[in-house]
Amino acid sequence: MNQLGPDLETLTRRLADTPPDFMDEPRVAGSGRVAVAALVNDLAAMHGGPAPFAVLAQCEGQSQRGDRNRLAVIMIGTWLLADPWFLAQQLDPATLVEVLAEVAEELAATPAHRFAADPERRDELARTVLDRLGFRPAGETPEQATDRLAAISATERRRLLEASRSAEQRAREIREALARKVAQESADKWTRE
Amino acid sequence: MSEVRFRDDPLHRERFPTLSPDGQRMLDFMVDHPCAPAYRNKSGNRLLAHEVEAQRRHENEVATAAVGWTPGSAPDWIGPFVRETFAQVPHYRALGSPPRCLEDVAPVSRADFAAGIAEFVPDHVPLDRMINFRTTGTTGHPLLLPSHPVVAARYAAYHKRALRRLGIEPANGRGQVGVVLLGYQRQCFTYVSVTPSMNESGLAKLNLHQDDWRDPDDRARYLDALAPEIVAGDPISFAEYLKLPVTRPPRALISVSMTLLPGLRDRLERRFGCPVLDIYSLNEVGPVGVFDPDLGGHLLLQPRLYVEILDRAGRPLPAGETGEITVTGGFNFCLPLLRYRTGDFATLSFGAEGPVLVGLSGRRPVRYRARGTWINNIDVTHALLPFPISHFNVHQRADAGVVLRLAPDAMPLAPAAQAALASLFGTDAVTVEVLQAAGKTLQYTSDLEGAHS
Repeated sequence: MNQLGPDLETLTRRLADTPPDFMDEPRVAGSGRVAVAALVNDLAAMHGGPAPFAVLAQCEGQSQRGDRNRLAVIMIGTWLLADPWFLAQQLDPATLVEVLAEVAEELAATPAHRFAADPERRDELARTVLDRLGFRPAGETPEQATDRLAAISATERRRLLEASRSAEQRAREIREALARKVAQESADKWTRE
Repeated sequence: MSEVRFRDDPLHRERFPTLSPDGQRMLDFMVDHPCAPAYRNKSGNRLLAHEVEAQRRHENEVATAAVGWTPGSAPDWIGPFVRETFAQVPHYRALGSPPRCLEDVAPVSRADFAAGIAEFVPDHVPLDRMINFRTTGTTGHPLLLPSHPVVAARYAAYHKRALRRLGIEPANGRGQVGVVLLGYQRQCFTYVSVTPSMNESGLAKLNLHQDDWRDPDDRARYLDALAPEIVAGDPISFAEYLKLPVTRPPRALISVSMTLLPGLRDRLERRFGCPVLDIYSLNEVGPVGVFDPDLGGHLLLQPRLYVEILDRAGRPLPAGETGEITVTGGFNFCLPLLRYRTGDFATLSFGAEGPVLVGLSGRRPVRYRARGTWINNIDVTHALLPFPISHFNVHQRADAGVVLRLAPDAMPLAPAAQAALASLFGTDAVTVEVLQAAGKTLQYTSDLEGAHS
């Protein structure tokens, strides 16, 4: 966070204006329209070089459950990193897309489109990307930037952890409800398959 | 003969929350009749008073609503339904943001439900009155499907819609029996109930197998005493029903579960002088369509069910091409369906009354010869229920020898499964082979004459 970055608001505004094409369906296991690897390679090219093969391999979706949302985060991230401020920094293209892939992995538990639609998540994505590239928002000291990113990330992690615990408990309760004797008795249907 | 008494049972009120003295009299009549069978189980409508009213409203809505969509054009309710399902259902929430269109939703199958059915229950569904429907399906994998008394009651709305096309408006009410469900199995879930939205008309699920009756001749006497307006069953129980000298035929027969072959349908219609509705119905979906020979297939019945025909890769096929029936929507709020692959195959055509499934296949009844008598393939399912096998085939050769085919990973279970079948067919009658087929397996097959009754 030692280098001074752009005004955070320019990045969050850009995220708010993410074009529909960047929120289209990533190609996963043969379905979907957007080849995310190609998108990432285009981003690297805009920054002056090819994307490493290892990163491109991560952009090939194998399973809906494992990859769809992560790839959707990458898509929004490519739009963010195509901002003129980033293009002007002459960043190493390989490092840039590696950071993008890492950030997407880190944030993949949040539904991707919230990084465009929700002000707090826009803030989180923009701050995280800047941080991983060694920048801080304009007008903030390194300490302020670190504290603000930690606060927003910690809140989201707590929310996700709580949601995960609730989901596990709910699944257990559903299995118990289905196994109850009274549930086995069923109820009247006019026909039985 | 009743083995089941009501009033001493603390759960009686839970099964029949709105039961009136007239309803109780109907239950007593069905159980205490001198020719009544042994009712093995207990069930009930479980509907609260406000749910009975809601049921009547639902029936009225379903009666008049159109299945308003055309080839390849999803109805207006699909978009909000996809978004709500992605927000409320854990399986879909884990996929991230809702996609723009239905075609971008990855289809699910029975295997996904089997891997974790709880993941498919929406967050808002209360669990205190959850019930389950146990199903083995055509792939044989036992599965408990979440449901609710309101969902069970809604079946009637779709049956009435199908009956109304033939000019039949079910009318039996207080003091009369509305529906009898027939089984013909060694083991069968049997009970009596009343339908509160039909003024507590009686409902009985009974087993025509002789073991459930003091005297096999009681079967016809009892059915005549009940004089049900509708008789529901499957081709195997109907084949037995045909043999009985009943004198008070119903106004309609409803056949579900298996393919009703035209020959049996004709015999039933001639014997009972009433129409036979062949309903394509699945535990996961409820009644999907009713067969109409003039339409050449099954006319869809649910206004809030969208059907696609998909190829192996999950791509929608145009009207007229055969593929897997895949459904979205449905009326079970405990299990909203998003591109659920049913495992059954058909083509889709469109007529004046709406979409029609043509050439439906995937289900075919089989009976087996065991120790000198015919038994139902459901009895075979029961024998194999304890074993966690996902793919199997039970084949009876022309010489009556039985071959149990198990997937390679299930072969360690072969000795126990073979013993279970031997209890039905005899000690030396069953051999075991490895099942080589991949994907969906036809579970029950036979080369024996008379197996497809």
